[in-house]
Amino acid sequence: MDTDPALPIPISYISGSYYLFSIDAVTYLRREHHICGVLIGTLPQIPQQNVFLAMPLQLMPEEARLLVDKGVACIVDEVKAHKDGMTSIMEEDRKRYLQDLEAEGLQAMRLQNRRKEQLREEALKNLDAKKAAKASKKAAQKQDNAAGDDFALELFAGGEQAQDAGPQRPTPSETAMAVTPSTSYPPMPSRPTSDQILPSPEVPSSYPLFAHLHTKGYFLSPGLRFGCQYLAYPGDPLRFHSHFLVVSAEWDEEINLMDIIAGGRLGTGVKKGFLVGGAEQTGPGSEDSVRMFSVEWAGM
Amino acid sequence: MADTDEAAAHLPASQDSAPQIETDLSDETQDFRFLNNLAFPSDSSQTSLPRRGEKDFEPNPTNYQADILDASRHAMHNALSHPRLHHPKHRVIAYYAPDGPAPPPAIDVTEEKDEKETATNDNNEHNLTKERSPETGTGISVPEDSCVYVPNPKGQYFKSMGRADRWNRVWLLPEEALYLIERGSLDIRWPVSVTGPTAEEGEEDLGIPMSLQAAYACFTGRGGLSVERFSVYTGLRRLGYTVIRAPGWDDESDEVQDEDSAPQQGLGIFGRFLHWLHNWNKSTGITTTGPVVGLGLHRSYNDIYRKLAIIPYHDPVTRQSPRRKTTPPFRVVFHVYKPSTVFRKSAPPTPDFRIAVVNSRTQTTMPTQAQLGALLESTPLDPPRGEKMDRMMYMRLRHGYRNVILAVVDQGVVSFLRIGDAAFGKEKVYAEKPPGPKKGGFRPRPKK
Amino acid sequence: MTSETSSPSSNPPTTPAEPSALTTLISSAAISPTTPLSAATLQVLHNLQHQHLWTSLQIHRLPLPEAPPSSSDVSYVSSTATTAFVISGVPPNRIYTHPDEQLFMLERGLRDNDIDPERTFVLPTVEGQSWSLRKMAAVFDSLPQVNEGLASLAPEGGSKGEELQSRDEKEAKIAEYLEYRNSARMTNEWGGKRLLLSMVDRNMGGDGTVVYYVVQEGAVKPRQN
Repeated sequence: MDTDPALPIPISYISGSYYLFSIDAVTYLRREHHICGVLIGTLPQIPQQNVFLAMPLQLMPEEARLLVDKGVACIVDEVKAHKDGMTSIMEEDRKRYLQDLEAEGLQAMRLQNRRKEQLREEALKNLDAKKAAKASKKAAQKQDNAAGDDFALELFAGGEQAQDAGPQRPTPSETAMAVTPSTSYPPMPSRPTSDQILPSPEVPSSYPLFAHLHTKGYFLSPGLRFGCQYLAYPGDPLRFHSHFLVVSAEWDEEINLMDIIAGGRLGTGVKKGFLVGGAEQTGPGSEDSVRMFSVEWAGM
Repeated sequence: MADTDEAAAHLPASQDSAPQIETDLSDETQDFRFLNNLAFPSDSSQTSLPRRGEKDFEPNPTNYQADILDASRHAMHNALSHPRLHHPKHRVIAYYAPDGPAPPPAIDVTEEKDEKETATNDNNEHNLTKERSPETGTGISVPEDSCVYVPNPKGQYFKSMGRADRWNRVWLLPEEALYLIERGSLDIRWPVSVTGPTAEEGEEDLGIPMSLQAAYACFTGRGGLSVERFSVYTGLRRLGYTVIRAPGWDDESDEVQDEDSAPQQGLGIFGRFLHWLHNWNKSTGITTTGPVVGLGLHRSYNDIYRKLAIIPYHDPVTRQSPRRKTTPPFRVVFHVYKPSTVFRKSAPPTPDFRIAVVNSRTQTTMPTQAQLGALLESTPLDPPRGEKMDRMMYMRLRHGYRNVILAVVDQGVVSFLRIGDAAFGKEKVYAEKPPGPKKGGFRPRPKK
Repeated sequence: MTSETSSPSSNPPTTPAEPSALTTLISSAAISPTTPLSAATLQVLHNLQHQHLWTSLQIHRLPLPEAPPSSSDVSYVSSTATTAFVISGVPPNRIYTHPDEQLFMLERGLRDNDIDPERTFVLPTVEGQSWSLRKMAAVFDSLPQVNEGLASLAPEGGSKGEELQSRDEKEAKIAEYLEYRNSARMTNEWGGKRLLLSMVDRNMGGDGTVVYYVVQEGAVKPRQN
C-alpha cells in the first residue's frame, strides 16, 4: 500500500490554509512523521455522514512548519501553480493524461461489474440455500405458514430478475467510468517551479511547545473539542485516546490560575491530563528550551 | 459530548446502549478498519456505517498492537484511495467558469472569443459580467459568485442547490460545486479555453477533468468562501441539512431581517405594553426614599415579590432601536433547514437555524456582550411557545427568545454552540405553582 | 529553600472564646500575614491540618523571580510578592500514584495503604494571584529532588495486624517496591517532581473553599481511575 512519495512533499497553500491531496503523502507523513492533520473532505463511498471523512487533509500551520523545517515538505502556492500550470499543459502530456484516466475508468468499470457479478452469485447461492432450508423445514412441519418468509423470498427473487437485465447488455463494460482525480499532478508537472514555492508557514506562539511534544513522540491534533490548543496522543489517534489537553503560554505571560484549575478539572473528568507549557527564555543566543507541567485533580 | 464519549469507552459493554445516544462518533478519529466492508469499488447500497472501535490507552511494544495499527492505517489508506467515479449513466458534467456567470458560448461566438482572450484582464472582465448580469436571468438572477454551471442538471442535489439561468443551465456557488465534486457527484471540467479540448471525438468541447485539488484551489477563497465556512457547510450537508448563504455572507452587508419586521412590530407593541406595565408597577410601589415594600395591606406574596423586583432586566422582546450593527465574524452567514423541512430554492422558507462561523485561530476570545447582543438582535424573535414550553420553565429558559448557532472552527474541527437569549427576568418564579405532591402530570405513567 | 518550623505544628493553640481557629492561626503565625498570599498560606495550612488531617506540617519560604524588565516591551503584571511560600507535610493517605507505579504495585498485590505516605509539597495560591510559567518553573526548581530530603516522617510500624507469614512476604514486596521506586525516581519513570497546587477561593468574599491539584514537571500521563 505504501508508495513512498518523493521528497520534499508539496503542501498546497490555498487561501490561508495548508492541505495535502495525495493519499500517499498522507499515509507516509502519518507513519514516518506522526503528522495526522484533519481530514475534511467527504468520503465518496459513504457521503452522508461525518464519522469517516476523506481527502483533502488540512494541516495546521504548525504541522506544515514542522515538516518544512525538517526538510520533508515544501509549501506550494497552489492557486498560482494552477493558474500557471493548467494553461501550459503540453499537448502530449494532456493526451497521455486523458488516456491514463480512461484506462483507470475502464478498470474501475470492469471491477464494478465483476463485483456485481460476484454479489449476484452470492445472492443466488444464498437463495438456493434458503430454498433448501425452507424445503427441509416444510418437510419437517407441514402446516408451516411462513407467509412473511415467502414474501421476502419473492421480493428477493424479483430483485434478481430486474438486475439480470443489466450485466447481460454488453455496453457497460465497454464504456469507462469518468474519474475525478484527487490531485492535479499529473497533468501538471510534478515539481513546482521556484516561484511557486512559498516561505515557511507563520505559526502561533505555541509552536515551540507543539514541536517539543512532537519530538517526544506525541501525535498532536487541534484541541477545540476540549477547549484547549492541542490534544496530545501517545500514539496514532487511530488507535489511542489522547493523554493531554495542551495549552501553551509564553514564559512571562500572565496565567490565570483559574484556567489551570478549570483545565485540570476538565482533563481529569475525561481521564486526561492538562498540560501547560512554553519555551523558557534562557537569554539571548542560547536556544529556548521548553518546560511543561501536567495538572490533574488531586481528589481532595 | 466528547467527554461522555470518552467515558463511555471505558464502561462495560452492557451499558453501551444508553450512552450511545449521546455519542458523537465524529468527535474522534475513528479506526478505518471498521470501514473495511467497503471494498473497491463497492456498491454503495451495500455499505453501512461501522460502529466505533476500541482504542488503547498507550502504545506498548507488542506485535499485536503494532499489527492492529498497521491494519488500521492500511484500511485508512484503502478507504481514502477510493477514486471519485462517475458511471456513464449517472454522470453529471459541469463546467468551471473562472470569470463567473456568462451566457453560453453558442449565443455569440465572437463575443465569447473576445471574452476568453481578455480573460486575464480582471477589470475589463468584471465590467462585462456586471453588464451582463441583468440579461443573464429572466426573472431569476444568478448569484455573481457562481463559478460552475451544469448544462444538464439531473439528480436530487439541484433541488436545494444552484440557480438556473434562462438557458436552463444551473449555476453553482463555489461551496456547492466543491461539495458536489468532493462527494463524487459532479464531474467538473476545465474550460477548453484554459486547458485545450480532450480531443475525444463525440465529446465536443469537453475540457479535461478538474481534480479535487484544483477545485480547492479554484473555489476556496472565492466569493467569501473561507475553508472554515466550507467546513461548516459541507459538514451540515453531509448530515442532510439544506444550507444556503444568509444575507450577512458578504462582509460589507449587515444582515437585515426583512421577513421578521412585521411580527417584530406587533411584538414590539406587546413589549412596550409590558414595559409600561413594569413602569406602572414601579411608580405605584417604589419611592426613592421609602421602603421597597411599604406599609399597607398585602394580600398576596406575589404583590410583595413584584415590588421587590427593583433590578431592571433585559427583555429580549423589546427591540433595541436603533439595532446595533453586527461585526464579523459574529454575523449570520448560513441559513440551515432540517432535512424534514420542505425547501424550495426559489422561495426559501424561514430557516430552522441561523449560523455564524468563527475561526478560532483568528478570533481567540469570547465574543463581547455587544457582539453577541448585535448578533442575536439580527435574528428574528423566536419566543418559547408550545404546549411543552408553556409547561416547563427550564425549557423556556433554554430556548430563549432569540437564538443563533456559533460554529467554531479550529483547523478543520467544527464545534457548534447554540446561543439563546434567555429572559430570566420574565420568568416570575414566585408565580409558578410549586409542583404539588403527586398532583398533575408529573408522575410518569406506568409502563405496560 | 529556607525551611522554618512554624508554630502551627500538630498541636494548634486552643484558647477558648477565640473568634475562629483560622483567624487565631493567621494572627498568631510566625510569618506575618501582611499579604493575601501569606494569609492564604496559613489558611491552606489550616485546611490541610484540620480537614485533610495532614501531619508534620512545615512552611518553607522561597524567593520568586521577577520577569526581567528587558525581556519584553509589554509589561506583564507582576505581583508585589517576591517570596512565595510552600507548605510541606505528610498526608494520611497517599495522594498520587503514577499509572505505571500503580501497575507495579498491583502486580505485587500491594495496595495504597501498604506504603507509607510521603512528605508532599503544597503550593498555596490565591484566586486572582499573578502567575506565569517562569514562576511555576522557579517553584519547581527550588523543590528538592524527589529522592532526597524526603525521608518519611510518618510513624513507623507499616502493616497492621496481619498474619505473620504473609507479612514477611508482604514486607519483601514492599522492599522490592521501595527499591524500584528509588530507581524510578532517578529516571522520572513514575513522574518527576510534583507538588500540590492549592488555591483559596477569594472572590465574593470567599467561602473557605480550598482546591488541590497535582502538578508535575513534564508530560506525565494521566491516571486512568
